[in-house]
Amino acid sequence: MNRRGFWSPYLAGAGLGLTLLASFVIAGQGLGASRAFAVAAGTAMNVVAPVYTATLTYLSKYIERSPFQDWTFLELTGVLIGAFAGVLMSRSFKVQIDRGSAMSVGTRVMTAFGGGIILGFASRLARGCTSGVALTGGAQFALSGWVFVIAMFASGFLFAALFRRLWS
Amino acid sequence: MSAPLVLSDTVNLAAALVIGLFFGFFLERGGMGNPHKLTGVFYRTDFAVPKMMFTAILVAATGLCLLSDLNVLDMSRVYIIPTFFWPQMVGGILFGLGYLVSGYCPGTAVAGLASGRLDALVTTVGIGSGTLLFSALYPRLEGFYKTSDMGTSTLPELLHMNHWALNSIVYVLAGIMFYVMERNEHRRQHPVVAKKILHAAS
Repeated sequence: MNRRGFWSPYLAGAGLGLTLLASFVIAGQGLGASRAFAVAAGTAMNVVAPVYTATLTYLSKYIERSPFQDWTFLELTGVLIGAFAGVLMSRSFKVQIDRGSAMSVGTRVMTAFGGGIILGFASRLARGCTSGVALTGGAQFALSGWVFVIAMFASGFLFAALFRRLWS
Repeated sequence: MSAPLVLSDTVNLAAALVIGLFFGFFLERGGMGNPHKLTGVFYRTDFAVPKMMFTAILVAATGLCLLSDLNVLDMSRVYIIPTFFWPQMVGGILFGLGYLVSGYCPGTAVAGLASGRLDALVTTVGIGSGTLLFSALYPRLEGFYKTSDMGTSTLPELLHMNHWALNSIVYVLAGIMFYVMERNEHRRQHPVVAKKILHAAS
């Protein structure tokens, strides 16, 4: 048991691996996450500015059906509920703005938002994120998964050396 | 050959929700809703992310090798993640930066949100915005987005290697990696305890 009350990462990882395997067997596809954000943001944009959204050809494949008919959107809804179950089980629910010890709330809101923008953009460029490309592609021994995971960790280490005080 | 299962749309969507429940539960229980644990790997203080990720990859990869060899799972009907080498390389580099700065990735931001973290909520809004930004710039990005299309290339095909041979290599590499991480973590997290134990022993 970890000092923060989490499971051993090997145990949680084995559970995650079996979930991924079950997804291949049941649905014929692996896990995903970033696609759900494209579906949600595209649908919202289509409500707010339908004329402009119609000009975004890339988005069309994400908004042709209701989010509730989209496999990954429903799966990510499940992630929210499943994670909440884990939080309830460990009684660790706490409303907070989590940040590095040297960071102000204002800076944290900016890093959370700015980092998120980069994540959203990068996920579309790479055709998926840690779930859809790294985990799913990695388990399939797909070249895509291993290229992405190596690039991601190398980049994280490099930028962490440049931004030492972000999280420590 | 019976799997992947042939399900009606409704059942398949219900299955997505249930699969997601387990996905979210294990992510949260592994500490993947906590941005300090998520970024610890980059500062070499907490290696929970690579430990959990490569354990999951090994378990699922072994299962895939086994189920396809036993003819239980027809891999030709499983969606293989396509490779676009350069866009995925650049995407991975950008993703690493976004992950470090925000402290989350798309799935773990949702796990962070479930634990009451408002910064994770802000990150989810950012991810949606980044997606829209990509869509708006797509006409200019399309050329690069479609370069180096390698289809459903897998490492066993590219390396002309049996999937069990590759699986074994990944086991050995992951084993070495886990060993190094455990040693590194122990030294950094418990320097006082380690000293005390040494002192008591002497």
